[in-house]
Amino acid sequence: MSGGGCSVRAIWILTPNDTVAFSRRFAVVEKRWRAAWEAEEGDGEGDRRGTGAAPLLLPADHEVAAAFAERWRREGTARGSGIRTNVSSVGLDSWVDDPITRHIISLRLDKEEGDGFMLWPVVLQKRGGYYVLVLPLVDPQPFRAYENLLKRSDCGSSAKENGNLSSILFNLPCITGAFMVAHVVGDIITGDIAEPEVIVSSGPSVGGLLDSLTGSIGISARAKPIAAPVAAPTASLSSPVGAAQSDSLKGGVRPFDKDLLRNFIIGAMPFGTPQDLNYANVTSIRTTGFSGDPLPTDQKQPAWKPYLYKGRQRIIFTSLETINAALYDRDDVPDFLSVSGQVTCRAELEGLPDVSLPLTGLKTAHVEVSSFHHCVQASEPTANKQTLVFQPPLGNFVLMHYQAPCNIAPPVKGFYQLSMVSENEGAFLFKLTLMEGYKSPFIMDFCMITMPFPRRRVASYDGNPSIGTVSMTEHSIEWRIVSSGRGLSGRSIEATFPGTVKFLPRTVQRINSSFRSVSSIGYTEDSDSEQDNAKNGASLDDYIMEKINKDLHAVDLEEPLSWQVYNYAKVSFKITGGTLSGLTIDPKSVNVYPSVKAPAEYSMQTSSGDYILWNTLGKCPTAALPREL
Amino acid sequence: MDRQPPTALLSPQEWEQLLDDFASSSNPSRRDRWLHLPLLDLAVSSLLRRDLPSHLKPLLLSLVDDHLPPPLPSSLPALLASLLSFPPDHPLRDHLLVTVVSAFASALAAPISRDHEAPHLAALVDALLAAANRPNHAPDRAARALACDALRALDAALPGLLAEALGHLYALAAAERSPAAQSYLLLLASAARHAVRLGRLASGASILAVAGPPTPFAVPAHLLSPLAAPGASVAPPSEVNVRDTRKVLALLMDRPQVLTPAAAMEMMAILAEVASAVLQWAPAIAAHIKVQFGGMVHSSSPMLLHSLLTLFVQFPDAFGAEDERTMAHRLALAAREVHRPLAVRLLALHWLLGSGKFRNLVPGLARWFYPAVFDPLALKAKKLDCLAYVAAGVDGEKVAAADRASDQATRLLDDGLVCVSAFRWLPAWSTETGVAFRALHSVLVGAAPHSTDGTSCSGARELLNSTIFHHLQAILVDMASEHQGLVPVIADFTNRLLACNSHRWAGERLLRTLDECLLPRLEPGYQLASYYPIFEKIAQNETVPQHHLIELLTKQMVSLTKKHGPDTELKSWSQGSKVVGICRVMLKHHHSSHIFLPLSHLLVLTIESFPDLEVRDHARICLRMLSCVPGKKLRHIMGVGEQPSGVTPSHPGSLYDIPSPRAAQDLKSMPDLASYIHLERVVPLIVKQSWALTLPNFSVQSRPSGSILSIQDVSSAPSEQENPTGPTIERIGYRQETLRVMDSKVTITFSSSAHFGKIPSCHIPFILGEPPGSGMDIVPIDNQNREESSYCASVTIELEPQEPSPGLIDVSVEANTENCQVLSGSLKPITVGIEDMFLKASVPPDTPREGVAMYYQDLFHALWEACDSSTNTGRETFPLSGGKGSAVIDGTRSVKLLEVTPKVLIGAVERYLASFVVSVSGGSLVTILRGNGVIKNVMWEENVPDASVGADALVPYSPDNNLQLHLIDDEDIGVGAERYGHESKREMGTMRVMIFLPPRYHLLFLLEVGRASTLVRIRTDHWPCLAYVDEYLEALIS
Repeated sequence: MSGGGCSVRAIWILTPNDTVAFSRRFAVVEKRWRAAWEAEEGDGEGDRRGTGAAPLLLPADHEVAAAFAERWRREGTARGSGIRTNVSSVGLDSWVDDPITRHIISLRLDKEEGDGFMLWPVVLQKRGGYYVLVLPLVDPQPFRAYENLLKRSDCGSSAKENGNLSSILFNLPCITGAFMVAHVVGDIITGDIAEPEVIVSSGPSVGGLLDSLTGSIGISARAKPIAAPVAAPTASLSSPVGAAQSDSLKGGVRPFDKDLLRNFIIGAMPFGTPQDLNYANVTSIRTTGFSGDPLPTDQKQPAWKPYLYKGRQRIIFTSLETINAALYDRDDVPDFLSVSGQVTCRAELEGLPDVSLPLTGLKTAHVEVSSFHHCVQASEPTANKQTLVFQPPLGNFVLMHYQAPCNIAPPVKGFYQLSMVSENEGAFLFKLTLMEGYKSPFIMDFCMITMPFPRRRVASYDGNPSIGTVSMTEHSIEWRIVSSGRGLSGRSIEATFPGTVKFLPRTVQRINSSFRSVSSIGYTEDSDSEQDNAKNGASLDDYIMEKINKDLHAVDLEEPLSWQVYNYAKVSFKITGGTLSGLTIDPKSVNVYPSVKAPAEYSMQTSSGDYILWNTLGKCPTAALPREL
Repeated sequence: MDRQPPTALLSPQEWEQLLDDFASSSNPSRRDRWLHLPLLDLAVSSLLRRDLPSHLKPLLLSLVDDHLPPPLPSSLPALLASLLSFPPDHPLRDHLLVTVVSAFASALAAPISRDHEAPHLAALVDALLAAANRPNHAPDRAARALACDALRALDAALPGLLAEALGHLYALAAAERSPAAQSYLLLLASAARHAVRLGRLASGASILAVAGPPTPFAVPAHLLSPLAAPGASVAPPSEVNVRDTRKVLALLMDRPQVLTPAAAMEMMAILAEVASAVLQWAPAIAAHIKVQFGGMVHSSSPMLLHSLLTLFVQFPDAFGAEDERTMAHRLALAAREVHRPLAVRLLALHWLLGSGKFRNLVPGLARWFYPAVFDPLALKAKKLDCLAYVAAGVDGEKVAAADRASDQATRLLDDGLVCVSAFRWLPAWSTETGVAFRALHSVLVGAAPHSTDGTSCSGARELLNSTIFHHLQAILVDMASEHQGLVPVIADFTNRLLACNSHRWAGERLLRTLDECLLPRLEPGYQLASYYPIFEKIAQNETVPQHHLIELLTKQMVSLTKKHGPDTELKSWSQGSKVVGICRVMLKHHHSSHIFLPLSHLLVLTIESFPDLEVRDHARICLRMLSCVPGKKLRHIMGVGEQPSGVTPSHPGSLYDIPSPRAAQDLKSMPDLASYIHLERVVPLIVKQSWALTLPNFSVQSRPSGSILSIQDVSSAPSEQENPTGPTIERIGYRQETLRVMDSKVTITFSSSAHFGKIPSCHIPFILGEPPGSGMDIVPIDNQNREESSYCASVTIELEPQEPSPGLIDVSVEANTENCQVLSGSLKPITVGIEDMFLKASVPPDTPREGVAMYYQDLFHALWEACDSSTNTGRETFPLSGGKGSAVIDGTRSVKLLEVTPKVLIGAVERYLASFVVSVSGGSLVTILRGNGVIKNVMWEENVPDASVGADALVPYSPDNNLQLHLIDDEDIGVGAERYGHESKREMGTMRVMIFLPPRYHLLFLLEVGRASTLVRIRTDHWPCLAYVDEYLEALIS
């Protein structure tokens, strides 16, 4: 019996070349798996071994690699996996027709003797070009339930039916646990193990747990603090340019430190049952030990706080907000603006004190959802106020996450127009206002506009902006309006940029063969139905668009939309000195108990996420805004 | 310890090689060469070797953990010894501990051998308990935590191992304050769970009672007993154990905040199980659980959220409706939190839909399921599922405010789809399109889910009449009419429903709607081809009336005909073929009476006016089938044998392929076409075996060398059939695999290496001549089956020989197969014999009818003389009429003795040469032949055998021959035989035979018929034919 918790039978890390880079099996868990199946067979449910339902031995690495490769071959297309299409067939995950089957997969192992079996649920994470596979222990019953879903011959189940996928997942917390394991393993192999950023208004950012630790025991371990580059002026992951880069990385993945991972696993889940998935804590304990650390005398020290701080006391809060915006400049489509924020904290406090932090202005800020670190005990939010009480862990941590609308005018607004005057030439115009309505201490650190043309090669551009500098790359034009070091503060500016862009003539694009996507499966263009839009009087833009879209590839379900079919400008910026949601913390209201003299510091920063100016003259993706029933 | 040291230690290089071999994915067999070694022992004993590089040592333990098969119990003592003797501060000690404990846990199972296994297990547990039994010892807290974890692993593998030490574990957990407390608490919880599972609660003895100090440890009796461990007791817990269980629970729940989320998940799972065991006797526990864990609803950790969810289900009384609403709200919002990994956002929505408790609250949360523009498509898809669920539910509520509810449902659907509305112009295969259609399907099955047995579904009737279904159909109709690119997707969507037992009705209704609402909006023209996938579905479905479709297709054919021009040939052909293809589908799926009139009108129109020949042909077949074959049989015929063997379709199962235009199929792919179509001569050749003589540039003028280039067999196998009078040339029977031909005819072409001139090809209209009901199936024939073949047609081949010689005519067949491919192949060649060259000499037009016989006789004599090689060097020149040159005859003569009776000879001549006989002389011969009446219109000379004829015989008579006269007593000679029964003359008479050999040669026979043999004198002006003539004469009488 798996018993409701989470135990992991095995972890595999596969390379894009379908070899196993790392594997770890947990014999203790495997023993329980075998026992559960043998018990069920003993219960008179019939001998299932012969039907190939469940294996009693884990497959070898090469078998897993082969099964995974085979799975890609069967349904590794952008659409083919996760959604049932006309090429899906019974027995494939895509037959189940749910996007979660891209993350919780089944692997079929076909033995030569014909005694094939299935591994499920294999939790899959794609990180840094690697595929992290985590197989948690489940009871035979949910395993069978999923098997039935794969075999159903009907047109696809609904949430109202018994045994649907949602109810299977509801009853399997182990899958959720396996996700968290896969996530941290992914963090380790990509080196994405920095603690959340905490900004100190005076001086540079402060470091993480190890700094606290080494500081407290008098070692100066590192000169440089760890800080996550939250708002680098590069494109975010979801941008098409960024996506293309990460795709191209797949061919040659960066090797990772297997000893580090092995060590982490021994500390975090020695016998397959995760106990602590905090990378910093687990590795600190494994490497540093507890030579001189005293114990609290009267209460239990939390497991997530293995060390106590010693030294000058202070508490630092930082609000980090990311704004996503879809700006249309159209009467019929409302702009969409959304802020996702987090309050990170670093409490350099001795002992195990409780900190209370009243949050005010929740209602004014229309905070939609907030969630808290597991150390936090949050009171029920009243009208406009919610008090958080927490015993802070050591190092930087995210105290809370929240979602809110942008409660101030968008920092960059205006329009972007692009019109193709011929197949290879376009005229564009930007008219933007920056930081209108933003008073000091808001500072815009930098602001850059990128016009990506992922499927055209830019030959040249012409035109001068009213402010800033312009440069071009092979597939984009970049306009730096505000440069780093020359922040914009206390005033708003207007920026215009009329110009033209010329593209090289289109050639048939060859898609990178490592890009595992076959988009046009099942639908072939019928030359008979080809319409000559130019003759039919449709616009040139439409004509070009249609021509271009012929070699479009279907995007992955992880993408929000087919970026490549739209014309848009992406805005990147960083603003310090305030939040766009308006949700702020009053450092003076922070209370520490038992009372100590510890100054509270607070800083704020907002950066752009997907901040998109859709071409006013082109097609644009939208979404309906919710309305009350 | 009695441990044997490994026989040979592996060197660092060997270890490297071994690890590499085990890691190899590409060649799994590489590891096999190491398997004979005691790898477990070798690996563990190598850990302390100084000559091994330190990076290698953890890999040795990983090898044991991950790549070696589970150890046998016999290897456990050695492992234990290694562990106990291992330096405690060694960096690999933790890893070794994990490895050894894992080995024990996986190798041992109850019942444990009391003598061989139990002592080692007890020693291991002893060591671990000793390590753990030092609460609050600060520096080794990590080691103590690991010892607890190890004990827990052993307890899980051997359930109840620590049940009797529960009291000690309780004390340890209560005392520990360091962060290792988590491990102590989990160990306590795990041991308590197994105590519950073992049924210890029913006992009067406290579960927390201890007999002595924790060490030395003794393996509990139930693990040593061969009897299975007792299952959970149904007996109620004793009072003391209810109390003690509450005590344990209170400790475990004291401050869940000190646990990490991962540990909390494990703890909550155990807590739930233990608490449930005593809940009935201590209901307050539920409230306690809510107080301690309810706050996790605000946690950002998905593990805590999910664990809390399971508590909601297991302790329904603890959490009220308000808590459930809060929880459901949290889950809906969790899906909106962009900082969460996508999989977690998807999971949150699954949790909402996965339990009836929360599912019921989903409709109230509708506004939170609106997809945002930057939501990943996977999340949009799942949110649309939720909206679909709400929409289906809202619409299902047939309450007073039905209209309002329906409006809400359709509005929800429309609003939701906006986020993937880009599909309307994106390519059909875009992910957005996939998500959108998935949502449409979700609405449908949400409103009418499958039943458990998969045969029917509830709510079908309601759904058909519901606003949402009407709205969905309207969406699809609009989409189809405005975005042709989406038609294949709509067809797929329909197909998905049609293929489902439970939703077939929805697919059919949808097709009817498309028929009623879409078709009237469509205009004929080339772009109509986009809609053929839908038309095909309509044509396939018996429940959809076809007249709209036929009407539209008729218009389309008219339009195609009008637009036809030199540039559109291919288009006309392709589109016309597709339309006729749809007609064919209709024929297959509908009673002909329902579609007869409009469809025949469409087909007639096509046959009469469509510009492409092939399409017309195709239509003609369809019309023929429609009018001649009864519907049931027709559908049967069209359903069987879709593909003949050897014909490779370019894309099976589709009517809409455009075949590569008129590309002849590779002959190799149809090797046995000859077994389907068979050519036979009407009149079999007399010469069964023959050969042909081929001369280079043969002509009269340039004759000199006359060297023989080649001699080849002409007919290899005689046609042995026994019904030469049958008119059969081509026989087509039905059996086995069928070859399906879509043409109304088969084209046969001929070619030959012999000098027969150009042989025109011919068409066999075999389908049209076929009686109704026979269909178009052609199957291989064999000899047994031949009589059954009901179809044959005659083919006449006209040759224009440039020289009279036998030869072979190669025959190839071309036809169009069902999928418009051109099928071609060879048949057995036709053998042409010398006798096929025999023609009657032509008579000048002014010759009176009664003078023909005389003319032939005169001509015979003239040619006879001309071909006498002894006269004038065998060469004579005849002036041609009109004075335009002259013909030169080079004569040759020969002789052949036929040793047969006159009866045989006369029979053969009458049968094969009757029309070439010029004159007959000799009384007895004349009498016989005249009496037989076969030979007519010749010169009869009853007397005077021409003496001169016999005089110049080259070989007068064979000396071996018996020249004595015999009585003719053969009655079969005929009417005149009796009259010659007394004939004493050796010679019966002579016959003169004159044959014209095209193009301009002659063959003359003078047959001197005797009682025992016949001498044939031969003269010809074409000497090469003598060789064949000799053979011919042999065959004539054999």
